[in-house]
Amino acid sequence: MRVKGETVRRNKRQGGYDWSFLWLAVAVVATGSMMLVASDSVPERIPSYVSWTPETIAAAYSGDDFRGMLLAKRCEHCHGAEGFSDRGSTPNLAGIDRLTIWKELEDFRSRKRTSRVMEPIAESLSSRDVADLVAYYARLPVFADLQDNRNFPQARPDPSHAGMASHLVSFGDGGRGIPPCQSCHGPVAYRPGVPSLANQNGEYVLSQLEAFAGGTRANDINMPMRTISSLLTEDERQALAEYYGAGLGLQPGSSSGAR
Amino acid sequence: MNWRKLRIFILTVLALALIPATRYYQIDVPLLHFLKGSRAIDPLTLHLAGEFVENNLGTEQGADGSVTVRMIAQQYLFVPHCILVPAGVPVHLRITSADAVHSLAFNGTDYNVKVLPGTISEAQLRFSNPGDFKTVCREFCGAGHYAMRSELKVVPREQFPVLRAGERGNCAAQ
Repeated sequence: MRVKGETVRRNKRQGGYDWSFLWLAVAVVATGSMMLVASDSVPERIPSYVSWTPETIAAAYSGDDFRGMLLAKRCEHCHGAEGFSDRGSTPNLAGIDRLTIWKELEDFRSRKRTSRVMEPIAESLSSRDVADLVAYYARLPVFADLQDNRNFPQARPDPSHAGMASHLVSFGDGGRGIPPCQSCHGPVAYRPGVPSLANQNGEYVLSQLEAFAGGTRANDINMPMRTISSLLTEDERQALAEYYGAGLGLQPGSSSGAR
Repeated sequence: MNWRKLRIFILTVLALALIPATRYYQIDVPLLHFLKGSRAIDPLTLHLAGEFVENNLGTEQGADGSVTVRMIAQQYLFVPHCILVPAGVPVHLRITSADAVHSLAFNGTDYNVKVLPGTISEAQLRFSNPGDFKTVCREFCGAGHYAMRSELKVVPREQFPVLRAGERGNCAAQ
């Protein structure tokens, strides 16, 4: 059999033109186009164009806080004088570090975070304006002046919620894999681009936790908040919002033991 | 065989034995870089491009049925938080860190994968029985280290969903 096969092949080679290369060419073109189609069908989902390279951090720290103070007159209508808002749904900006506000403004500008109000405002700012604004807000004290007698939305934490919230803040929940809030949002440790929650409006915290869980806000790099927020129950989100809304975020959480 | 040849032979064997050891001690061997391709990756720009963009994380099923799992370890989470793999199939794990050194361990198994920022760690895993495993971080990575846990669900092969091109499996897809 082997001998016969060899003779046949030899005859073919001698006889006519060898078309076998054509099959090879067809196969190469087919697999190549299939690979192209396959790679085209998966568009990348990018949460934010910001990455914490040294150049980004240098740009965010290049601002002038005095010019920022003048520019911030525009922001006061909603975010309040000296960065304290009297509307619960608007975040306090006082004392929030430069990288956080810088990233959020960049994300509003690139439409990675959606807001009908903030998108056009962020678009109208130049990169220098953004750097100046964040320099100003980062300098402000975290707690409002005692003589400031505006009505601030101060949520009083529900006592049944307080234990739950302080436990999550200081220990998280190892069983479900929820890290403690204070290990990124302060005061134990901070990360670039992560807001300190020392004095944030509870209503705003709750709305953002729900937006992360529901996927309507998706600009967190590598998905930490979308993951954590969808692991939390509705009660826990409410409890955390009350805890931070009451200004308890600056003390390291102490567990009451009750869970 | 004279003594001189024997000595060269023993030294060669010892040198070759170091190559598999690099897998456990993360020694940088230029020769392995050359043979296997660079495993370097920028930890700061994982989300912008490349194989660790967020819609590429999770379980990928190749056309030949092979399974690849891509994950990111970061302070203090593994992303995706719950991974789904079929039982009895070799699982190729590719994981990298976005910040600190972590170590991905599967409770109840011997698998323990060290994760370094700037490098893609690879491992071949095989889970013969279906079940739920807790995965924990075994390298102290910071204040939230003790809560850094996630889940692995091993399902029978016929229960594993058939993934379309570009689709990645996770527990929510089941």
